[in-house]
Amino acid sequence: MKLTPREKQIQARMQPGAITINGFLGDDERHFHEIISDDRRTLERLGITAQELADKMKYLTDRAFDNYDETMIVEEIYEVSYNTVRGRLICPFMHPGSYRKGEVVVKNLKNNLTVKWTPLSVHMIEVHGFFEGKGSKNRIEPEILYRVLFGN
Amino acid sequence: MVAIVTTVAVLSGLTGFLALLLILAESVVANYGECTIEINKKKKLEVIGGSSLLSLLDEHGIYLASACGGRGSCGYCKCTVLDGGGPVLPTEKPFLSIEEQEADVRLACQIKVKNDIFIKIPEEIFNIQQYKATVQKIIDLTYDIKELHLKLFEPPEINFKAGQYVQLQTPAYEKSRQPVSRAYSISSSPEHNDHIELIIRRVPDGICTTYVFDYLREGDSIEFTGPFGDFYIRETEADMIFVAGGSGKAPIKAMVELLHSQNSRRRMAYLFGARTKKDLYYTELFDEFQKKMQNFTFVPILSNPEEDSEWKGKTGFIPAYLNDYIKDPEKTEAYLCGSPGMIAAVEKKLLELNIPKDKIYYDSFA
Repeated sequence: MKLTPREKQIQARMQPGAITINGFLGDDERHFHEIISDDRRTLERLGITAQELADKMKYLTDRAFDNYDETMIVEEIYEVSYNTVRGRLICPFMHPGSYRKGEVVVKNLKNNLTVKWTPLSVHMIEVHGFFEGKGSKNRIEPEILYRVLFGN
Repeated sequence: MVAIVTTVAVLSGLTGFLALLLILAESVVANYGECTIEINKKKKLEVIGGSSLLSLLDEHGIYLASACGGRGSCGYCKCTVLDGGGPVLPTEKPFLSIEEQEADVRLACQIKVKNDIFIKIPEEIFNIQQYKATVQKIIDLTYDIKELHLKLFEPPEINFKAGQYVQLQTPAYEKSRQPVSRAYSISSSPEHNDHIELIIRRVPDGICTTYVFDYLREGDSIEFTGPFGDFYIRETEADMIFVAGGSGKAPIKAMVELLHSQNSRRRMAYLFGARTKKDLYYTELFDEFQKKMQNFTFVPILSNPEEDSEWKGKTGFIPAYLNDYIKDPEKTEAYLCGSPGMIAAVEKKLLELNIPKDKIYYDSFA
């Protein structure tokens, strides 16, 4: 696939050692547009949008930030904790701003599924529809995320 | 066939001509010639225009804080531009409050110097320099925290205030294609100005901490800039409450060491929060300070001690214990360093206990 200069820059920023040590693509050889398209199809099948997922993630992230690094129960469904890590990350899509490095951990107490995300993950899902490549350490599987956030 | 060759030749010629035109335009339009950067109405730098304000200041040995190398992603390199900076760019706005925008605060990395420019920066910034040092010692403080001893050799001394930080520069290495710099508080007292100590906690997959933990060795050279920051001891007679968590102990250690060497009579309490016993470090050091300093109390608090740890100290969260160590809220200063969650919870409690907001100083991890 032919890349525009901007796409080349984004692709470069997703490589290991650019913004994070492991990068955002894992061992996924697809172009990031294909990764986004494939995940969008999964969301369509599930009948949910990236925005709806991101809204719920932001709500739980805010609860985690408020809670002084300890585990809390939200709405009797979610067990939420936040692991503080010093520093901030920038968006590989060159969107302005920076995002806390810490990790939000959410467990759905009804189905016992757990997902982890960083504030940058929430931004990338909301604005870019990007869940990261297969094999990436911080890849969030859209279906598992959906089941944690909205599943019984 | 002739038509194809002619077409290719014409297209090649046209492309070459356009490229030449672009080069000429770049040299004419983007040639801003000599410009002046006037700083604080007293210092003038003669520069060749066309580069960012941040990089031009850097070239002249004036180091504004920057953790992203001028990519517009950290928002640290703020300065006041009195004139000549052009309009605020969309890339700056996420980092500037409305008040800052009204006060002409800008990000130096986003301003391209095209004409004379007039800026204002804090006087302390003239004290910021680039330093080269040798790694004298690397000590494991816990399973994920190391202490670095850096002996300066160029220049051989540094002047800083206890509580300030430096930006350690990691060179490009196996796991990072480009150099990066990250901020770390100095944990040693400013009285020993030929070296500094840093406390560094491993950040999972962090470019700089991976370098420090897995690649940096004793005897290696390393560079840093500094000192930065306005988290330092206010010279008053007020009582002091220190609160820290995790690697937030670094600036507090520098402060307590300094106060100890000054024989300070100020009343001080230091509440350190950690999850488990294995997250504690420097406990013996601060117990020693407690013995040597009549007015100093050290209080480690564990939020989640292991059942078999035989922990006999305080448990729970720092806010619950603050009231025990505040005698006169109006005459108390608080110095906090740690996660945003911890700082928010402690600040809220301190305000409830009537500590004036302007006497709460903090260095947040985010």
